[in-house]
Amino acid sequence: MPIINFFIYLLTMVGIYGLLAMSLNFQVGFAGLINFGQVAFFCIGAYTSSLLATKVGIPLPFCFAGGMALSGLFGYLMSIPTRSLKSDYWAIATLATAEVIRLIALNEGWLTGGPFGVMTIPQPFQFLFSRDSYPLFYLVLVLICVLLIYFALSLLSDSPFGRDVKTIRDDEELCLSLGKNTRQIKLQAMVVAGMVGGLAGALFAHYITFISPENFRPIETFLMWAMIIVGGRGNHAGAILGAVIIELFNVSTRFIGEYVSLSPDVMASLRMLIIGLLIILFISYRPEGLIKEKKKVYYLKRRDGE
Amino acid sequence: MLKIKDLQKNFGSLRALDRVSLEVEGDSIFGLIGPNGSGKTTLFNVVSGFYEKDGGEILFKGERVDGLTPDGIARKGLCRTFQIAKAPEKLTVLENMMLAAKEQHGENPFSALFTRRRTARVERENLDRAMELLEVLQLVDLKNEYAGDLSGGQKKLLSLGRVFMLQPDMILLDEPTAGVNPTLTMQLMKAIKELQQREHKSVFIIEHSMKVISSICDKVYVLNFGKKMAEGTPAEIQKNEKVLEAYLGGA
Amino acid sequence: MEFSQIIVNSLIRGSELSLLAIGLTMVFDILKFSNFAHADYAVLGAFLAYTFNQVFGINLLIAIVLAALFTGLFGIAIDRILFKRLRVIGANPVSLMIISMGIEIALRNMLRLIWTSEIKTYAIAIRKPFEILGARITPLQIKIVLVGFLSMVAFHILLHKTKFGKSLRAISDNRVLASACAIDSEKMITWMWFLACAYGVIGGTMIAMEHVLYPRLGFDILIPVFCATILGGIGNPYGAMVGALILAFAENIVLALDLSWLINLGGFFNVHSIQISTGYKPAISFVMLIIILLWKPTGILRKK
Repeated sequence: MPIINFFIYLLTMVGIYGLLAMSLNFQVGFAGLINFGQVAFFCIGAYTSSLLATKVGIPLPFCFAGGMALSGLFGYLMSIPTRSLKSDYWAIATLATAEVIRLIALNEGWLTGGPFGVMTIPQPFQFLFSRDSYPLFYLVLVLICVLLIYFALSLLSDSPFGRDVKTIRDDEELCLSLGKNTRQIKLQAMVVAGMVGGLAGALFAHYITFISPENFRPIETFLMWAMIIVGGRGNHAGAILGAVIIELFNVSTRFIGEYVSLSPDVMASLRMLIIGLLIILFISYRPEGLIKEKKKVYYLKRRDGE
Repeated sequence: MLKIKDLQKNFGSLRALDRVSLEVEGDSIFGLIGPNGSGKTTLFNVVSGFYEKDGGEILFKGERVDGLTPDGIARKGLCRTFQIAKAPEKLTVLENMMLAAKEQHGENPFSALFTRRRTARVERENLDRAMELLEVLQLVDLKNEYAGDLSGGQKKLLSLGRVFMLQPDMILLDEPTAGVNPTLTMQLMKAIKELQQREHKSVFIIEHSMKVISSICDKVYVLNFGKKMAEGTPAEIQKNEKVLEAYLGGA
Repeated sequence: MEFSQIIVNSLIRGSELSLLAIGLTMVFDILKFSNFAHADYAVLGAFLAYTFNQVFGINLLIAIVLAALFTGLFGIAIDRILFKRLRVIGANPVSLMIISMGIEIALRNMLRLIWTSEIKTYAIAIRKPFEILGARITPLQIKIVLVGFLSMVAFHILLHKTKFGKSLRAISDNRVLASACAIDSEKMITWMWFLACAYGVIGGTMIAMEHVLYPRLGFDILIPVFCATILGGIGNPYGAMVGALILAFAENIVLALDLSWLINLGGFFNVHSIQISTGYKPAISFVMLIIILLWKPTGILRKK
């Protein structure tokens, strides 16, 4: 029985991180926006949704929506400096901003509960299921979200919008010369990515029912980066694959520690050391990741009909 | 259609453009020549909004366009190509053409997700027009190749096709035949002339080859050291002593 | 808090940060990417110095020099193995930045593995602080400011009075031109890394001596160092020093500010005292970084 519970937990976390990886991938792999503050979307989505649920008491779908909306808004704010800042400066700015957000969550206890965080977060449809079967329901909920977002993002990336976004990544000057308002397009991409990240945050908060600033340290952003670097940028399947690999590695090494009699501290260091090495190795030797970006092939089918 | 008055652009103490004034009419092909470093590409960059001017006025279709963003100027109908042809690696030739299409739908997330049928219809229309243009440019067989894999000359043809997809009122072509072999050059010239006559656009070309200039241009401006040195028909320019001196004796 | 104490504290912290900022600005300027692992190199050196001094009983000064040497070689090795290959093929500097992020994570956790997360101290005897103009300063802190100052002077001499410095400045201005003048840029880059790491180690050790040493120290001082570097302008080592001082000053003064006078201005409220909570101290450098990036990313000092 415990094994099944563990797998359900693992898959649920993979799903949540899959959403985060797809969100980051949309920014990095599609729009070419190097975001080192991705955890901010996670944090804002989680806190907004859980605070709306615990302090304001509105129905849960609205809490989730609120989390997504606020994260989307944050994405909009983050997109504003992209016009004037070069990639590496903007990356540093996002890192700094995400940490400021976390410090606000840590210090403004009257709003966020400070270091104690938000507790007893209600769970959707709790009353419908027994305590044993609820995790399975939640897993299904998360997986449905992952599928929906996967299809939505695929639609977006195959659309004219997606075409514009990809060209901004490769050659922004060309886009400008073709009359595209690149600032607006980047803005829209960031809002979309923000909303997906916010959804992940809300799902996370209502799953483990207790969040604190400790859940949103910068290391989370780097984990998500490892996912898209290993899995493959520029395509959504790669993001999910990366989430599977990294999260599997992350969670399973926690359990191996029990059998290999190494202290949790040592296991944690080893785990992160390997993640760092993976990032280095993949960028150096296989920068496209495991799943490469595919050529847009649908025109081929038309060729047959001509 | 395009009126430039006393345009000034400085790089530090260097006067790249020194009070240049010229006019380009509609439904014709004008040329811009001059030795290297005379300011031709700088002129294009300022007019198309990629560089900021230091003085002067730019009027397009009677409206002031100096100070607008490059994409804003392009949307007004004044479009350009680049000296080094741009070919984004991860996009196919056909996608490049579709990218440039003037009337597109689905270019924002909302319409991309929720108005898919209309998006698909407009895409199909643009696809037809793109294929037509590719025929004229003889690039049809390469339509599903990555733009980055094309030869230099083919990239230039693609740039031309892209800018015509924009259906602009005026096109600034920056050295469209530079680095292109003679056969392809003929093809390009033919394509430019054919497209211009078909669509009645106004074209302003930067060129080094007098052959190209004399075969397709209605009028030519000559720049030297950032100043307008001469203007006239290709025949007049070729006989102009100052121009000959600049090319043979000068920079 | 007395204003003079704020000045003294800023001087100390500024001296510490400036040594790290110098190295970062050099790498940023000459190799054109932001090295996220820079502060961790410094902390590696601090750990090495700690081990030499506290475990092997070597004299502290010699321990620091040895640590600087080792770390300098380490920095060169990392450059050769990881960065050089991509640099030579003209890779996007963003890729280098992401690799440096990977190095940061790997290095920090390697430190954690080897030395554990336990906090370490340098067992420096606590002496009675001096009182200067109403401010307290311990002998150690005086030494720190002195070392910082002397290091800057040494750097200035290196940069302007030696052939090496001249070559370094040439590469900073224009790499292609410099190599045309037979300056071996790869050799210069090697020495640059050595210098950057060595200075970083001195700075890192001083921070660790004044406070405590733990593996996460690198990440904790990363943003302040970035802030100082960008404030002073990339490629400007004097700017790095000024930036470090300004940042240190801002960190100290913001917490001492009592904002109640602002609220009481209109006469409607009579609040006793409103101060920014000390929990926000790390945020000060983050906020300053965001402000300077949004307002003047080229820094407040012009390059050289």
